[in-house]
Formats: sequence, structure tokens, C-alpha cells
Amino acid sequence: MENGLIVIFGFTMLYFAATGRLAAHIRLLVWQGLLLFLICCTEIHKLHPGSFIFLTLETLGVKAILIPWFLTRILKKHSMLRDEAPGKPHFFSLLIASLVLLAGILSQNWIQSYPIISPIHFGVSVSSIIICLWLITVKHNIVSSIIGFIAMENGIFLLSLSIAKEMPLLVNAGVLFEVFLDIFILGMFVNLIEKEFKNLDVSKLSELKDSGND
Amino acid sequence: MIDILLIYPLVAGLLIFIIKKRAFDVFAVNSYALLHIVISCILVFTHDTYLSSVRYFAIDNTNKIFLLVLSVVFLMAAVYNTGYIKHMKHEEKRIRFYMFLMLIFIFAMTGTTLSTNLGLAWVFVEATTLTTAYLIYFNRTRNSIEAAWKYVFICSVGIALAFVGIILLNISTDRVNSLNYAILACNSFQFDPFWMKAAFVFIVFGFGTKMGLAPVHFWLPDAHSESPSPISALLSATLLNSAFLVILRVLRILETSGHDSYGRLILLVMGFSSLLVTAVYVNKIKNYKRMLAYSSVENMGILAIGTALGPAAMYAVMLHVIGHSFAKASFFLTSGNILELYDSRRVSRVSGLNSIDRKTGWLWIFSYLAICAFPTSSLFISEYLIIKVMFAQHHYFMCALFVILLTVILHGFARVVFSMTFGKVAEDKEEQVRENRKKLSWCMYVPQIILLTMVFTLGVYVPPFLRF
Repeated sequence: MENGLIVIFGFTMLYFAATGRLAAHIRLLVWQGLLLFLICCTEIHKLHPGSFIFLTLETLGVKAILIPWFLTRILKKHSMLRDEAPGKPHFFSLLIASLVLLAGILSQNWIQSYPIISPIHFGVSVSSIIICLWLITVKHNIVSSIIGFIAMENGIFLLSLSIAKEMPLLVNAGVLFEVFLDIFILGMFVNLIEKEFKNLDVSKLSELKDSGND
Repeated sequence: MIDILLIYPLVAGLLIFIIKKRAFDVFAVNSYALLHIVISCILVFTHDTYLSSVRYFAIDNTNKIFLLVLSVVFLMAAVYNTGYIKHMKHEEKRIRFYMFLMLIFIFAMTGTTLSTNLGLAWVFVEATTLTTAYLIYFNRTRNSIEAAWKYVFICSVGIALAFVGIILLNISTDRVNSLNYAILACNSFQFDPFWMKAAFVFIVFGFGTKMGLAPVHFWLPDAHSESPSPISALLSATLLNSAFLVILRVLRILETSGHDSYGRLILLVMGFSSLLVTAVYVNKIKNYKRMLAYSSVENMGILAIGTALGPAAMYAVMLHVIGHSFAKASFFLTSGNILELYDSRRVSRVSGLNSIDRKTGWLWIFSYLAICAFPTSSLFISEYLIIKVMFAQHHYFMCALFVILLTVILHGFARVVFSMTFGKVAEDKEEQVRENRKKLSWCMYVPQIILLTMVFTLGVYVPPFLRF
């Protein structure tokens, strides 16, 4: 059951790579949040009740509801439908993402020699992080970059679940609070950039160069 | 006492929004600056180690210098800021938010410096990113939006990768379930070397992004050049140090486990990359604040190289931290005076600085001399000691490369600094520049004079508490 959920999480990354529709990206974030919640539920017997409540709040409350709601508002405000000009064709991104995910899943055999790590968690989470870094680089739309960053945070969350011990709650709470604030601030900058540059293409943000400006 | 350092800015920040008076905003920042330096001095001079009531914060031999540097630079930036905001034409609400975030920024850096836990240090470093985003965007120009966006996004991705490093470090620790530096260092001999090394790669790239080490430095020239000058000074002279301190602490864990040579190699490569990047860009620079930002990249590179050389160069590294912070703060604050006078960041639009405002002109020259390690600047001693260690360890090629790159960088800076200081002011601008001079009050000169005096004094006399 748990392994199945993790593999589905890995496949959501492929869909990320294959589509340019921003609304679909946000729906995927909702699915990822739900999947992460279900993965936490499968480990409920290992968790302290306080930690479980915290993780539920993090996965369901913030990752599956709050952040997607905030991003949907931004999309509606700017009437954005898709990432019009990604740096690489979607097929190419899908190919790369598939290869990375495959490598992540195959790495299980090697990871099995470390009893503290859950191999499937580790392989899928590391490949998700790498895929997101790739997508952040090739996607030109600012909202796509933010979505890629959030998906990377989801991958990091899965990675933290891969080890058979918990991070201190204080650190977890700090991380969650900052990620949320981070996305909030990035979202505000989307509005400012749209207002000032009349465009949300990352490549247009290139006025600051070593050639001098006032 | 550590508790006061961390609680005061939060209370003062809250009061700023309740009282809503410019005079109180200034008082809140300046009183925190004074309190910060007084408490730091008490902690540094009267205790070898001191733990806060919550045990997550402490002063020890590693962070005491960083805390002192933070206090001194903050006090100087606060004094300068008092004169700087006097002539700001922005609405009161905006200035209030600026002062509030300045307090929170210092709170976050103090938290990073004093934190005894790697996870908590991560949280505070991320907090510095969030608070400074607005400060960089403060002028609300196209350029400042671009700079702030790049800063927040690049640093967030970098810090997220640092968190991956923390998770990998947690894997390596096996049965030790703690992120406390001291506990990690004590038990590091039983950690898994593979995961520990993998963790260091992520941590050094993550916190290295914040520190401004090449090749992950891209946000730095934009952010430092676009923010208001007191903020540029704080970013360059204290924020980069905070990130460096975290790297230093993690390296110490590797050191106690006997796997530090790998970490040192990474730092060496990043250090030389930083020098190379600066050497390439500094000779075509047309914006003087960007030049100072590249100088920060260069100096962080020197710190990385010094750290890579091992314990033999540690004294030089610490001296360089102090010297660079003071000299760079002075340089950035003086650049604020120039920006007030000429209303431009372009090198080509600034000339005859010495004839318009002799004090700013000389401060500009002396800041340059301090940063380029002219005797008796403490940077001369630190760079000389680093070169000496390279010789002692028979790294002759590395030494030659280090000297050549520093010479190229020095030439690039000199070209800009001297062209701005001497010559004549364009006739059409002279009247306006002379008019702008009235904006500069005494508190926009005194902090630089104090900082430069300390830099040049440390080159001839190092007080006993700094002889680690």
C-alpha cells in the first residue's frame, strides 16, 4: 500500500514534466499533498500523536489546501492558462523526468544495504527533487517556477519520511512556517512583476546586468 | 542575556506598529543596536561559554567573533541609518515597515549566530531571506523587484537543498537523533562517512548560496546593489558571515570524524571559482555598488580558501572575517553617500567626488585601501597569513593563482575608485550635486571613520581576546 502511494507520487512528477497547463500543475500539488498525507497515515503506528497531528496539518492543511488555493487565486487574477514557452519541449522534459525517476527506483537495490533508510521513499524522493530542479530551470513562467519549488519541497518532505527517525518538532514547525511564508512572498512578487513588467516570463527579468543601471 | 537579545527586537517591532512615530522607530533600532553590542561584549568578555535558558542558543569560542562583528556592524549601520532615513521621501508606513524588518533581520542573524542546533540555524537563515526580501525591494523600482525576486527564489532553492543536506546528515548519524552541533561533533567518529560527505555537499551548496560563493552567487550582485545602503552593508558584512558560520560548524563535525579533506576540497574549488568570477566581471563593471557586491563574492572566496587550508589558516580566516566585515560595511555606507550626492549608481556618472565632498572622497579611498589589503589593513595580515600557509604546505601553484587573481581584482577596483574620486564634476550636474550634499549629516560619516580606524588598527595590534 505505502509503496504504491510512493510510486504514484513519483508518477505525478512525470505529469508535471509532460504538461504546460498551470491549472493541472496546481491540481497535481493537491494530489501530492493528499498522497503525502496517506503516506503519513500508513506510518501512524511509528509516530507520536503530536507529530501525527502536525503532519496532518502540514500535508492536508498547507500542502493540499492552502498553497493550491493561493496559487489558484494568482492564476485567476492574471488569467494565466499555461506556460507558453518552456525552455525545452514537453516531450524532452518527460523523457528526462522518466529517466531520472527510473534511476531513482533502480537505486533501491543499493540503498537496501542501509537499514535506517526506506529504499522506495529515498529513490522516489531524490528523483523528484532532481526532476523539480530540472523543471525550474527549463520552465520560463514565474508561476511554473514557484510550482516547481513547491513540488521540490514535497520531494524533500518525502525524503525526510524515508529515514526511520523523526526530526525535532521545533525544526519541522519552523520549516513548515517558513515554506508557507516563502510561497506567500513569492506569490506577492508575482503580482508585482506582472504589474511592473506586464509579463511573467523569467527570461524578461534580465535588466540587471554588469553593464550598469541607475 | 541571550534571551534579551532575541526577545527585544520582537517586542520593539511590535511597539513600532503600536506607537507609529518616526522618532520611536529610530529609537527602537538604535536602542537595540546599543543593547546588542553591550550584551555581546558582556557575553564575549565574561564567559567562555554561555547557554540561554532554552538551551537552543549559546555563545562559544566559534561564534563569539561572529556575534561581536554583527553587533559592531549593526551599531554602525543603525547610526548611519538615522541620517539616511531623514531625507527619505517615502510614506511613513513604508519607512515603519523598513525599520521593523531591519529589527527582525538582525534578530534572525543573531539567532543563526547563537544557534546550537543545525536545524534551528536553517530556520533562522531562511528567516533572513524572507525579511530581507522587502528590504531589497524597498525602493520599488523595476530593478529592485527583479533583484528581490532573484534573491528570494535562488536563496529559497539553495536553502531547500541545504535542508536535504541536513536530512542526509541525519541519515549518517544512525542512532544519534540530534542536530545539536556539540552532540554531532562528539559522536561524529561513528557516523557513516558516505552520507556525511553527501550531506556536506548539499549543505555547502545550500548555505554557500546564501554566503555568495561561486557558482551559486548569482543573486548577490543584484540584491546588494539594489538595496538601500545600510541594508547592503548589513547584507554584505553580517549575513554572509552567518551562512559561513554554519558551514564552518558542519566542517568541524567532518573534522572530528577525520573526513574533512573532502569538505576542504569542495571549499577550495568554490573559493577559487569565486575569485575567478570576480576577476572576470570586475574589469567590465559599470555600477559601483555591483563592484562592492563582487568584492563580497571575492572575500567569501578568500574565506573559503583559508578554511580549506585547515587549522593552520584559521586565525587568518577569523581576522579576515572581522576585517572584511568592517571594511565592506564602510565601503557600502560610503557608497550610500555617493548615491545621495550623484543620484546614480553608474561609474561613468560619478566624477570629482573629492572636489564635491572631501570627506566622502577620502572615505571612499580609504575603504578601497582597507578592502584591497593595503598595510596596515587587517586584511593585509589575513591575506599574508593565508599566502604563508600556502607556502608552508607547498601549494606553490595555488599561491601564484591566488596572488594573480587578487591583483587582477585589485586593478579592477582601483580603476573604478580613482576615476570616481578624482577629476571634475560634469558642469550640468555640479549645482545639483552640491545641493544634494546638504542631505549628508555627521552620522553618515562617523560610522565609516570608526570602522576604518578599527580595520587599520587591527593590522598593527590585535587585542588578546582576538588571538584564538
